[in-house]
Amino acid sequence: MNAPIQWPKAVNEIPKAIFTDAALYEREIETIFHGAQWHALAHRAEIANPGDFKTMLLGRMPVIVANGEDGKIRVFFNSCTHRGNQVEMASCGNRKAFECPYHRWMFRTNGELAICPGSEEFSPGFDKKDYGLRELRTAEFCGLIFATASADTPALESWLGAVAGTLAGALGGDGRLKLLGYQKVRYASNWKAYSDNDGYHAPLLHVGFRLLGWQGGQGSQKPTPNGHLAFESQLKPVVNRDFLKDPSLIDLKATDPESGSLIAQLFPHTVITKHMDVINVRFATPISVDCTEVHYAYFSHADDSEELVRHRIRQSSNLLGPCGMVSMEDASIFNRIHIGSFTPGNAKFQKGVKRTDEVWFDVKQNDESGNLPKWNYYCQLMGFQRSEVA
Amino acid sequence: MSLPAAAMNVERQLLLSEIAEFNAAYAHCIDDDQLEQWPEFFAEDCEYQIIPRENVDLGLPAAIVFCDNRGMLIDRVVALRKANIYPAHYSRHVLGAPVLLDADGRGLHSQTSYVLMLTRMDGETRLFSAGKYVDVMVRENGVLRLKNRSVVFDTHRIDTLLVTPI
Repeated sequence: MNAPIQWPKAVNEIPKAIFTDAALYEREIETIFHGAQWHALAHRAEIANPGDFKTMLLGRMPVIVANGEDGKIRVFFNSCTHRGNQVEMASCGNRKAFECPYHRWMFRTNGELAICPGSEEFSPGFDKKDYGLRELRTAEFCGLIFATASADTPALESWLGAVAGTLAGALGGDGRLKLLGYQKVRYASNWKAYSDNDGYHAPLLHVGFRLLGWQGGQGSQKPTPNGHLAFESQLKPVVNRDFLKDPSLIDLKATDPESGSLIAQLFPHTVITKHMDVINVRFATPISVDCTEVHYAYFSHADDSEELVRHRIRQSSNLLGPCGMVSMEDASIFNRIHIGSFTPGNAKFQKGVKRTDEVWFDVKQNDESGNLPKWNYYCQLMGFQRSEVA
Repeated sequence: MSLPAAAMNVERQLLLSEIAEFNAAYAHCIDDDQLEQWPEFFAEDCEYQIIPRENVDLGLPAAIVFCDNRGMLIDRVVALRKANIYPAHYSRHVLGAPVLLDADGRGLHSQTSYVLMLTRMDGETRLFSAGKYVDVMVRENGVLRLKNRSVVFDTHRIDTLLVTPI
């Protein structure tokens, strides 16, 4: 039995044990993933047509995100209301109806139970109306579909708070997107190590940016009290374009360099980014205490020319994500933080830390301290008591 | 006048063995870490992509690597050598027999299955990727080169990252 985790007094420290503790992971699934938070599960562009659907996990619970025949998007538990069988196995597709193969119960795309053979012998008072697929609370922002399993989650707009503007920008301003495809990956890392280090970090890690003479520009970082982070930053022109045989890959064709990089990092671990001409939503799922799966979904905008779509495909396929030339280092860091976290003690944030007795929200672009409001929120949410002594 | 069936067959066998030899050399170039030579397997005007089979089946164009000229292949190798941080590893390609689909004015159209094993520094060898090459080869000064290689991979949930070409 491990010693209980002691949360340090200083707000710039977090116990490394939280990344590796299996019992804590179970509590997080209940408290955070099945609890009173919104979770981004799909973008409307992935399921654009009536009958389109996508399956996902909300924490550990399988769900179906379905575009109904009526054009309304709903999120259902992916479990037959009869005996609990998983209804849909495909990761995405188009259906006229969802049929459970076990006893051939068939549900309409709006969730209603349409057919249940042999119902004349069912329990007294059985009524099909009571046996529709169980629907979760759902909300939409610029086409991004959120769901929550809790009745206590605040309305989406107030949950997003100050991050909403950056999020809208990252989703192309109006969310009228078209799906370009997926990159799916598993990191050997706790979900918190993934979320704490994806999104934005000091550019020191990425040698590619240095070789290209491309160190970004002025920008801002805005944390919210409930664990979100918004980044907006200039992209300066690349100095050493000749470093690349084909520098057209890093052209900006549809992006104002003044706001060339937008990142919305939503608690607990969804990242939405528009960096250069890449529009990317990262749907993350905790698999176990030491494994996190991330689906990088890439998009173009509905108004793009054919030439711009091709440019977005080239950038989406080569720059960011787990195989991207300028950022695959992130993937290495996720795994290495996880391995390092099996050692005793605390991880300590330094850059931009002005005080250690309480968190603050006025942070600079490259300050590590932007992560601290999230850690403070997590500490409270999970019921940790800060140590009295330093 | 068409060739007699036996002659057709011999010609086909020669082409197949030439493609198999080309693929074997390509795989050893990567597995022996001679990546600076890897772009030379391609024509100057070429396309190379590594794309999840799931995206192909859904008609979605985004890939995990997509180069539409030989310069971009060189850029990938330079990034791997000079910029990227990743777990050191050995690659080991095991290739199936090529299937010749067509030979027309645009080149030789073939498909070849592969299995790619990855050995990271813990010493364990893991199946990293299974899939197929979908190729168009052309002849430049008598030598086969890839006009188009589309690596369509079944293993669409990547383990951590991909840096070395397939």
